Amino acid sequence: MLAAAGEANRVARGCCSGVYPITPQTEIMESLTAYPFTKGAVVTVESEHSAMGVCIGASIAGARAYTASAANGLLYMTENVFAAGYYRLPIVLVAANRTIGPPWNIWVDQGDSLALRDAAMLQFYCESHQDLVDTILVAFRVAEDPRVLLPALVAQDGFVLSHALMDVDLPDQTQVDAFLPPLDLPHRIRRDHPRIYGGLTWPRDTQRQREDIEHAMQAVPHVMEGVLDEFETVFGRRPAGAFPAACTDDADLVIVACNTMARTAMHVVEARRARGERVGLVRAKLFRPFLRDELVRALGSARRVAVLDRNHSPGSGGIFWAEVVASLAGRSDVLVQDYIVGLGGTDVPHAVIDAIVDDLAARECAGPPVFFEEGG
Amino acid sequence: MIEFVIHGRGGRGGVTLAKLIAGAYYRRGLHVQAFGIYGAERTGAPVQAYVRVDEREIDVYGAIATPDHVIIVDPSLVSPAVAAGERSGGWIVINTGQPPETFAGVFPGRRVATVDANAIAVAHGLGTQAVPIVNTALLGAMARVLGMEIAAAEGALGDAGFGGANVAAARAAFAEVVTTEEPGEIAQPVLAEQHASMSFLDERVGARPSTHTGAWASRLPHSRELRPLCNDSCPAGNDVRGFVQAAAAGDDGRALAILLETSPFPGTCGRVCPAPCMDACNRRELDGAVDVRDIERALAECAAWPRPQRPSGGAPVAVVGAGPAGLSGAYHLARLGHPVTVIEAAPELGGLLRGGIPEYRLPRVVLEREIEFILDHGVEVRTGQPVDRAGLRRVAREYSAVLVATGQQSLRALDVPGAMAGVVEQGLEFLAHTHAAAEDLSGAAVVIVGGGNTAVDAARTAVRLGARDVRVVYRRTRAEMPAIAEEVDEALAEGVVIEELLSPAGLCVRDGRTSLVCRRMVLGEPDESGRPCPTGVDGDEALVEVSCDRLLLAVGQDGDLSLFPPPVAPVAPFRGPMSVGGASAAVYVCGDLAGGEGTVSAAIGSGRHAALAIHAALAGAEGDREAGSLAAERPRPAGPIAERPEDAPLAGPETVHLRAFPRIPPEPVSLAAPRLRRRDFAEVRRGFAQRSGHDPLTAEASRCFSCGACTGCDLCVI
Repeated sequence: MLAAAGEANRVARGCCSGVYPITPQTEIMESLTAYPFTKGAVVTVESEHSAMGVCIGASIAGARAYTASAANGLLYMTENVFAAGYYRLPIVLVAANRTIGPPWNIWVDQGDSLALRDAAMLQFYCESHQDLVDTILVAFRVAEDPRVLLPALVAQDGFVLSHALMDVDLPDQTQVDAFLPPLDLPHRIRRDHPRIYGGLTWPRDTQRQREDIEHAMQAVPHVMEGVLDEFETVFGRRPAGAFPAACTDDADLVIVACNTMARTAMHVVEARRARGERVGLVRAKLFRPFLRDELVRALGSARRVAVLDRNHSPGSGGIFWAEVVASLAGRSDVLVQDYIVGLGGTDVPHAVIDAIVDDLAARECAGPPVFFEEGG
Repeated sequence: MIEFVIHGRGGRGGVTLAKLIAGAYYRRGLHVQAFGIYGAERTGAPVQAYVRVDEREIDVYGAIATPDHVIIVDPSLVSPAVAAGERSGGWIVINTGQPPETFAGVFPGRRVATVDANAIAVAHGLGTQAVPIVNTALLGAMARVLGMEIAAAEGALGDAGFGGANVAAARAAFAEVVTTEEPGEIAQPVLAEQHASMSFLDERVGARPSTHTGAWASRLPHSRELRPLCNDSCPAGNDVRGFVQAAAAGDDGRALAILLETSPFPGTCGRVCPAPCMDACNRRELDGAVDVRDIERALAECAAWPRPQRPSGGAPVAVVGAGPAGLSGAYHLARLGHPVTVIEAAPELGGLLRGGIPEYRLPRVVLEREIEFILDHGVEVRTGQPVDRAGLRRVAREYSAVLVATGQQSLRALDVPGAMAGVVEQGLEFLAHTHAAAEDLSGAAVVIVGGGNTAVDAARTAVRLGARDVRVVYRRTRAEMPAIAEEVDEALAEGVVIEELLSPAGLCVRDGRTSLVCRRMVLGEPDESGRPCPTGVDGDEALVEVSCDRLLLAVGQDGDLSLFPPPVAPVAPFRGPMSVGGASAAVYVCGDLAGGEGTVSAAIGSGRHAALAIHAALAGAEGDREAGSLAAERPRPAGPIAERPEDAPLAGPETVHLRAFPRIPPEPVSLAAPRLRRRDFAEVRRGFAQRSGHDPLTAEASRCFSCGACTGCDLCVI
């Protein structure tokens, strides 16, 4: 429900938004432009590149900034997404995940937001409308924390979530105001303290700037822990952390999945558990920074790991799989197999994930990434 | 969990129906999920929408394969596949006026309900007759079959912001839905065509069937051409846009063929036509009208003339008078298969084309070639044979039909005292004999009375014959002169003086010198010709003397009606048919005698219309069709032109986006220098200026906007 994404931004006192429509993000833009802001503005522009440009300008000026896009729109925005990260601006960008064309395809595929993985930007992947609403609020807080100061992308499955109507607990404004005070960007433009942003920087200074960003990324788990505590205090529920896990304590086989696929995988885990099989699930919610130690902890005792990737990096394989393998470097006792599924919006039903579990259980050793479809 | 699938078509509200059903359950405190499967996002594409309802939080996503309930928004989507899986007790709700029993055999084991939601929607003004919006009616039907109160549907509608007619439609459907619980084998409804799954790269398909959408469901592009202003304004009926576009495409042969379908005189009209098409041209406002006249001239000169066709089978027709109207009539009659005999009083054919238009405007060689082309269609000629009233009776007995095109042979005299032979001469007669044997006017003062082309032609001819002083006396001003403006410009450049606002009052001879006495005029209110009416200024001081050695009259001429027996006095516009002296042949009249506007192109058009009328009368209804195909219709251009009525709206300037076109000035034309052209009768206008490596004909034709031509871009339907 994209309106929920727009609503979450509004209750966060989002002050400025540059927006340009693209399916399946358009409803976010529609709800933003229809909202009577008392303090703030929605600037409709001619492209995604300019949409992020507006957000950069607004954010440097000290306003909370928000935008949303998808697929080829995200690619067109990319230059300014990198700029937002390197300017250290806590802009929140919602991605309604959609397949990059050609061929033209409007359905879900995480390849668009994952193409931005090397931008200096946090990335969250949401499994439900409630998760999306809560995570947008969390993302603003983490991104705006002085120890972080980086943009954050919050991804949802295009159509599967973006165009579905479901019941959701939308927090009221007073709660949000309590959780999310007005932005105080330390390096914002001030009339009494003029600065130049983005001018020529010598090589060593540039390397240090990148190193600073890495430090900021490393601060994220600690910052997020505090933000989630506070969220729980204010709203009475606790959104998931980086790698919410289920049934992994004694699991032999664990599925790693993100977004709504993880919900379906949970049904498979429950069914297998009911038959006495020791199967577990780790949902990859926080992709950037990728907290390798937390993942290894979440995987528990697993000796077999199935990574479900709704994305494809040609010549490498699944992008999540590469991260999981890197996290388990040196662990020859764990068999990690990549399953590329659901590309271009192909449905990933219970039966597919069930078949994946069977496939992994029967393997003697890991193979190259597998393009897995229903019926094998 | 209860699951619903809605089978609809894009843009018809199926997803909204899903959300409304979810809303009705949400009001009961249940968790809900509603979503659509979006595809080509165009009106008419088959789309599905889904609803899940559960007592616990819903954490499954994706399509529903085995629904409990199925709603079919468009009955053309009925097929067993929509109700896959075993879900006994589920409902199939179909939007149709047919009874539910009709579909029972398609859905064994299911309960079927039908409701004519289309009719309900139309009755409540929801959508249109062609595209009714049926979702709110179907919500009412669903509430009924699901055992809800109508209030549940009304509440869901209210939550979504629907009221009024939508609520009334839901109530109507709630009341009208028909159900059966006893399915049986009855009639098989027509099943929707099942498409095999195809790759988007399938060459046979080009695109997936799901992308054949908007047009396919309810609309087809309905393109039609607009009538270009140039075609509309051409008195000869030429397809101006057609031949100019063919020339622009470099197909000069086709361009000339298009011209020859309506006129056998492209070389002539390409020189002497006042070209109303150029006055009408939409390009005039941007950077000057397309030079249609010189394009036509160049085509007549450069393109290959087709071999004349000589169809047969018609009835013999006589044409009396071999001016442009008579020759045009003869040409078209011959092309329609009629043996034609042209009877001309003069020793040569051509009428005013030969006698009335000076050689420096229309070289004889051009005229000869076009007359020869007409005769090559099998036209017989009898020259030197004047036809009087008795002669017309004889001809009418001899032929099946007669076309009279004798023009206007009665030259108006000047009703002034003192007019004397030797000094006063008719301009047309002067023009005619100066062609035959040049006369020496060296040192003479020549005055021409009139303002039309004959006056200007006579003046310029006098210049060429050595006249010292040539003056055109006209009772209005230059702006009102009927002569072609360019001709007036060229006359002025050659030294002709135009004496405006003078009307002849008499001749006087003083000291052996003759003078034309004129009265000064003022312009008043417009008369019936639309031009300001000149009235004389009173008093002797308003009299002006213009000395002259020769006085040429060009004040107009009238048709000689003595051919026709009284009381048959042809009055304009007159075409016939009429009967003469009891002869069986119908007599038709065309050209200036029939009240034409006095231009060559009007005469050509008049002759063609008369030929078609004669052909239709001789050949009956069949001839009508043939004549139609010869006259106006060419094969339709390929593409999505759904209709091309002759009464299509005009492609006026508002239909052209001038800013889309770069400014390209017209191709220069070559003109003989005024000093040189005073000396002889060599042609003044020489057509497009030639330079090496440049094709002026194609270049000028390419300036044509092709106003009103449908390119099938379909932008108009988007």
